[in-house]
Amino acid sequence: MTTATARPIRAIPRSWIALGVLALALLALPLVLRSDSRLNIAILVLVYAALAQAWNILGGFAGQISLGNAAFFGIGAYTSTVLLSRWEVTPWLGMLAGALVAAIFAVIIGYPVFRLGGHYFAIATIALAEIVYTIFNDWEWVGGATGMLIPFARDIETGRPTNSLYYLQFNLGKAPYFYIALALVVLVTVVTVIVDRSKLGYYLRAIKNDQDAARALGVHVLRYKLIAIAISAAFSAVIGTFYAQYLLYIDPETTMRLELSVLIALVAILGGVGTVAGPLVGAAVLIPAAELTRQQLGGSGNAIDLILYGALIVLISIFQPNGLMGLVQRLRHRGGPRPTATPTEQQATAREEAPMLGGYEEERG
Amino acid sequence: MDHERATQGIGDKALDGRLSRRRLLRLFAAGAAVPAMSLLAACGEASVGESGGSSGGQAAPTATTAGSGASSGGSPAASPTSQGGTSPSGPVRIGVILPLSGVAASVGADEKVAVELAVKIVNEETPDLALPLAATAGLPNLGGATVELVFADSQGKAEVGQSEAERLINQENVIALFGCYQSAVTKTASAVAERAGIPFMNGDSSSPALTESGYQWFFRTSPHDGDFSKAIMAFIRAMADEKGADVSTVSLLYEDTDFGVNSAKALTDEAEAHGLQIVGEVKYKANTTALTSEVQALRSQGADVLCPASYTNDAILTIETARQQGYLPKMIVAQDAGYTDPAFIEGVGAAFAEGIASRSAFSIDITEIKPAAAKVNEMYREMAGKDMYDGPARCFTAMIVLLDAINRAGSTEPDAIREALEATDLGADDTIMPWQGVRFDEKHQNILGGGIIVQIQNGEYRTVYPFEVATVEPSYPLQPWDQRGA
Repeated sequence: MTTATARPIRAIPRSWIALGVLALALLALPLVLRSDSRLNIAILVLVYAALAQAWNILGGFAGQISLGNAAFFGIGAYTSTVLLSRWEVTPWLGMLAGALVAAIFAVIIGYPVFRLGGHYFAIATIALAEIVYTIFNDWEWVGGATGMLIPFARDIETGRPTNSLYYLQFNLGKAPYFYIALALVVLVTVVTVIVDRSKLGYYLRAIKNDQDAARALGVHVLRYKLIAIAISAAFSAVIGTFYAQYLLYIDPETTMRLELSVLIALVAILGGVGTVAGPLVGAAVLIPAAELTRQQLGGSGNAIDLILYGALIVLISIFQPNGLMGLVQRLRHRGGPRPTATPTEQQATAREEAPMLGGYEEERG
Repeated sequence: MDHERATQGIGDKALDGRLSRRRLLRLFAAGAAVPAMSLLAACGEASVGESGGSSGGQAAPTATTAGSGASSGGSPAASPTSQGGTSPSGPVRIGVILPLSGVAASVGADEKVAVELAVKIVNEETPDLALPLAATAGLPNLGGATVELVFADSQGKAEVGQSEAERLINQENVIALFGCYQSAVTKTASAVAERAGIPFMNGDSSSPALTESGYQWFFRTSPHDGDFSKAIMAFIRAMADEKGADVSTVSLLYEDTDFGVNSAKALTDEAEAHGLQIVGEVKYKANTTALTSEVQALRSQGADVLCPASYTNDAILTIETARQQGYLPKMIVAQDAGYTDPAFIEGVGAAFAEGIASRSAFSIDITEIKPAAAKVNEMYREMAGKDMYDGPARCFTAMIVLLDAINRAGSTEPDAIREALEATDLGADDTIMPWQGVRFDEKHQNILGGGIIVQIQNGEYRTVYPFEVATVEPSYPLQPWDQRGA
């Protein structure tokens, strides 16, 4: 998406090379990091990158700010875990089942909720996610507030936890988890790129910019919004299954709390809403910041890590209201001559580039 | 920048106002960032200093406390134990995960001091204390090696507990893990220990599931919700049978997390077993800001006894709401947690806390019976500025049990420590708890522990049950709110 109109012939190969280098670097990361705890942070970055990317399809392209995506995440985690612990179904199938359940659920709730506009949609998603949270918290059959422990796949001879592809458990090192998470991020990103370039992407952007105009032009607004939320929910659920298998314990608090929904949106927004790379950049900055400050300072018990983390978020929002991708773009432009376009042109490009939160922009200014 | 451009187009006036505002913001933020950075640097330095030069090999300035280290107290007192990174005679490192921020931070901080005290007693010669490892300095079977704690903050979140457990094992090279207060956090953290095959010692989580999941590396010294609930119902029964209290019905009030729900389940089972009738249950959202309708529901149920399960903030709110609405059962017997936190008495005021009872594993008046407990409490008060209570006492005990096992193992090999833990056999006088001792069953649950009932009398927690270890008579019934001097 960054390949601008200027130099198509040179720009494309260059970005492909960059992508190739990045892919190689990521594939080699477990060898470089060596320690499972550092790999743990890398996996968390990938998990949140994928979640934010899934959010981005709904919140970024379609402009429907959801603060309830943790519900889809949780549904995915619970579907596979229930299938596994009740009927020994492999989490790989559970993953697909979870995606299906979450997508159906998303469409069912999307149908009435999409009639709400702007802020009311965001509020409705909060309420719905809280309802889902409460239901799971009270639902004894799925463990209620006690949650569900996923038993270890153990070596029959030694009794030690071991690796099992069938049970999607890798207890002898985190590299397999890393590669699966990486594959999920690539998958979601590829889908995002496809959406970005397809008719669907144009429809969604049209809906974001002006819903009524889009409808007047013959775009079936509700249908495309439902498609967007179904895709978003399905991928969130897939990651939910992965996360459940990673933690080996789920409860509503861990998988569905409001804070998680906010964090997902925060990663995408601070990274750069509506851009393909934004959620990835956001996760790569925010998650290590949270983890590393806590690791270094959390043990002292004076919560300085949380203050610093909060300060970082405030600083990004002040200096980069369009997210970290805005910074990347600015650095890129700094090399060339300053654009000297007329105000009207500037306005036009600004509108085109500003992938922000639909109608929220004006109120924030 | 898109933003800037967009506003440029609007007009020069707007542009000017905008830029100056942005500049102001920028100045402000820069001003805020500088002290933040220096704070960060200062903190990093402080904790490096504290760990006594252990950061030579690893660039990880965590808040480790070597030897005698209350983070506030004079840390250089401990011998600087020059460990050359990989030398085998370095200190024995144990990872401790506690909620040092978040809603349970106050308990977490107190428990941190308690385990620091346990390590101080082991590391230094404390001859006049009859506890394992007190008289000697360090772990004698490991050549007098000292113990070093590496603390991590769980923020009370299960996934953070997992992350921190991962880091402590892989980066801090701890040989055992300890923690984590909230049962949900203990679940994910102990799963990491199970995976890595290193011992996990728990003293303060009460979910029965923890020892029921067949983990090979998880050990718990404290009774779980089932045992505790038995003590609560046995107490109510005994009050009716032996003290002539007219009580037969019970209402439950509990928060909606693992702790509250499990506690309610166990209480329901035990009530039936003790011939008491549960007439109503009220579940509420943890860390709520209002309990008005919940208390109304309790009042309409009209039970003789209220059994609440809440953490500190909710416990205070419950009593304040009950007072405002004039709701008063004949007895309140709480499920530990918030109700045994001294901050609870402070929060509601001693006059209104009077007569409220709670199950507990420890009570400060145990110091009247056990000299070791009195001495430990004295030392604890020096470090924490307050008396020991349930959570810290349980953590202290669990840490001593773990260190005793490591010493008996005579090695830091995980398998040796586990075998030593399984062979643990401590008597009643080896702990500061009102227990018969510590011995683990095949699920690694201590079978010699037990619960007691404490009651707040004159602003202090006093043991009232079992009657044979009680230090005062239980008071009954609760005094009406308006007849109490504030």
